[in-house]
Amino acid sequence: MKENILIIGGGAAGMEAATQLKKLGLTPIIIEKSDALGGHIAQWDRLFPAFHPAKDVVAPMLESVKGIDVLLNTEVNDIQCDADGFKAVLTNGKTIDAKAVVLATGFDLFKAERKQEYGYGIYNNVITSLELEKFFRTGKDERINNPKKIGFVHCVGARDVKVGNTYCSKVCCTTALKQACEMKEVFPNAEVYTFYMDLRMFGPGYEDLYLKTQRDFDVKCIRGRVCEVSENMDGRLVIKAEDTLFGKPLKMTLDLLVLMCSMEKNKSIDKIQQQLGVANNSDGFMQNRDMYLGMNGTAKDGVFVAGTCTAPKSLPDTIAEARSVAVEVFNYINNK
Amino acid sequence: MKIFDPFVLPFVLGMAFVLTYCFVGLIKVILQLPKDDRKKFLRSLVTPKTAWANIRDLFGDCLFHVKIWKRNPILGYMHSAIAFGWFMIIVIGHVMLFTLKPLQGVEIEGFARTFTNFYYPIFFKYFAEEGKIFGFLMDFFLLMIISGILIAVVKKIHSKIVGVKRVTKFGFADNMIRFALWTIFPFRLIAEKTNIYAFWWLYSIDLLIFMCMLPFTRYMHIPTEALFILLRHAGLNAREPRKGYALAQIYSCPSCGLCIDACPMSVNDKNSGNTSAYFMKKLRNGDTEEAKRIAETCLMCGKCVKVCPVSIESCDIKFSQRAETPYYVNSDHSYLDVILTEAQRSGEISSNNNKVLYFAGCMTQLTPKIMRAMKKIMESAGEEFQFLDENGGICCGRPMILSGKTAEAQAMIAKNTELIKKSGAKKLVLSCPICYKVFKDEYHLEGVEILHHTQYINELIKTGKLKVNKGDVNYVYHDPCELGRAFEIYDEPREVLEKAGNLRKAKSEKELSICCGGSLGSFNLTQKERDEITCNSVADLMFNNPDEIVTACPLCLKTFARKAPVAVKDIAEVVSSQL
Repeated sequence: MKENILIIGGGAAGMEAATQLKKLGLTPIIIEKSDALGGHIAQWDRLFPAFHPAKDVVAPMLESVKGIDVLLNTEVNDIQCDADGFKAVLTNGKTIDAKAVVLATGFDLFKAERKQEYGYGIYNNVITSLELEKFFRTGKDERINNPKKIGFVHCVGARDVKVGNTYCSKVCCTTALKQACEMKEVFPNAEVYTFYMDLRMFGPGYEDLYLKTQRDFDVKCIRGRVCEVSENMDGRLVIKAEDTLFGKPLKMTLDLLVLMCSMEKNKSIDKIQQQLGVANNSDGFMQNRDMYLGMNGTAKDGVFVAGTCTAPKSLPDTIAEARSVAVEVFNYINNK
Repeated sequence: MKIFDPFVLPFVLGMAFVLTYCFVGLIKVILQLPKDDRKKFLRSLVTPKTAWANIRDLFGDCLFHVKIWKRNPILGYMHSAIAFGWFMIIVIGHVMLFTLKPLQGVEIEGFARTFTNFYYPIFFKYFAEEGKIFGFLMDFFLLMIISGILIAVVKKIHSKIVGVKRVTKFGFADNMIRFALWTIFPFRLIAEKTNIYAFWWLYSIDLLIFMCMLPFTRYMHIPTEALFILLRHAGLNAREPRKGYALAQIYSCPSCGLCIDACPMSVNDKNSGNTSAYFMKKLRNGDTEEAKRIAETCLMCGKCVKVCPVSIESCDIKFSQRAETPYYVNSDHSYLDVILTEAQRSGEISSNNNKVLYFAGCMTQLTPKIMRAMKKIMESAGEEFQFLDENGGICCGRPMILSGKTAEAQAMIAKNTELIKKSGAKKLVLSCPICYKVFKDEYHLEGVEILHHTQYINELIKTGKLKVNKGDVNYVYHDPCELGRAFEIYDEPREVLEKAGNLRKAKSEKELSICCGGSLGSFNLTQKERDEITCNSVADLMFNNPDEIVTACPLCLKTFARKAPVAVKDIAEVVSSQL
């Protein structure tokens, strides 16, 4: 069976779906807009809840897609559908015929500049969760200069009507606690605070991480949102927040503030998505057929979705969806 | 000469009814005015300045419909043809009374004369000769009216031909009276030209229907607008949503629907029912629940007030409607005193008459780039300045006013006033138009010049204190509602931007600028509905493909940043980057 399956996106979902589809005897082709496979997860240092190195997950994935056609630095320019399937014109000028399309386009990180009151891009010592992860990987960041007091802000760009995102971004709570512990490992003498709305420790081992964070790492978790950040004369950050358990406003001076940026829909795929007739849901992510048995399907026959293009998801959820989409595509091709 | 015919009776009855109704209504409105307002009103009638304005607008608005002509000439002609034409045939009818000559030697005198004077002008041709000149004039104006009605019929069938996208949807009574109005004049024309007796009856009965329905339909605006003009010039404010001044406005609304196309909410057809035309209609029909809902949905951008051909102050009526909703939260303002002492202790407030006092306000605190830019601008201009609320300040009070909670707002206003007066500053600069509006309208800061930073920066440039380098970026400027429509600060920001780069035009500018959708005014628009408004406003700004969208309101800035395809900046940021 030589049936081309076009997979848009070469992150965790795209790679895993491709691997499984190949095992099922189909011919997946991965289109990746950046110059390497791996997606967001390849930029991560360690994974929650057990501080598992991200590369231990990414490396086997990269290994298993060897032998699969991968087009890097490539995007889909135009896609048409007829009775035979799909015809995609790529940015490199090539045309690919495919029987089915898998959208594994993932997410964009919320642009922290949009939450101007947190001062990202204005004050020197405000960084994002992704930048902190890079610091853990490389040990280099000019802004991180032996900080004595560090704050983490949860839900930046999530559950926030003011930025227009009312959904929970699902992974930031656990990531914040993981990163808080890691900061304590790097700077054992620093005081670390996290500011949360509520902690959504939904997965196996996550609640244990929360207990460990407080018990073993002495991280202080404060329930309340940070409302404003400003800079004092010494270039330190002054934050205003509310401790909602005490019911009191608080002011604190910090050396470093880490913003846990939420996931947002990857908008670079909007045009193709529109051509394929896949709508967005109320959170702005792609609409799948339903969230139960039709989670990998869309309103359009032959167009499938996997991973964070439909909603914020953890890595295990994404891998599970990538595997299930392979079975869905396989059944679709066989029943055609 | 005939003196009387039974067909005049329907008209006489109708006319008597309307006159009685209007007289009672007039007394009711005046009695409902609060005492001080009533005094103000009566005084305004004899004050030369307001009396002149009254005369000017009575002629300009009621008779010549200048505002509709300005807004849309086709509609202007349509309305003038019908209303002015009708007015003229009534006037000419009365003038002709003087030309009446006793026919067959029967002289009408005394009571009979008074009585006939009542209906003779309306049915003149049945009873007497018009003469050549008057006959021509009467025919001319009658045909003019009919031409106006023809346009109205076209507008009813396909409103886009006359440049109107959405029209007000009417109920049975409004449709019926409109039909009566449209048929009055053709009936009169036929009656006059053919003298078929039945048409005189039809004409008179049509007048009866029109006049009996008038008080219960939108056509009540015909007699009420005159009263409304007088009240408006007296400088009154609507205090209760269905009484006094507001009542006069409710009956003055002609439901023309010009506000429907103008309203930013109409971008979603489903929401065009939330526009002021419908709000006034609900109030007139006594549908308090719906009126309350619309009042709380409105963004309060004020565009409907600007386009209204009658100048109905619908936003003020909405505020008074909001104030009727009880406020269940007990406000605790004890913190106000603490803030004052803290500020004094830290020596933040010290008397110095030459300095500029800068009040960022809550929204600007959340957009620190603006504060930074303002600091840089003032430093670069060599100004002596002080931040009033750098370490925590008091809200200006506007959100409370928007919710109709005047007492709560006044507590904050009083404290801020105290702080500002203590500082001794003569100039207060604000970055937020929301604050600016409340400082201008509600604060009593005699001797302190209140400026929005657009005005202040422009002043710094003009006096040569600030040198701005012209760049090659193409800007488009968005007029924030509370700076533009509320205070007509249109030129200052544009002058500043022309110094900093190239200014491109938006599709709708100045008083027609479209609300960003982020307004604090609305309580119950969903995020999705707001997003639709934002996208529509952004598309309007992107009309000439600018490189950057510039605004002067921190709330507009945040709202646009979510949806704009290009960078969105505050005017202060633009200027500080070009120093």
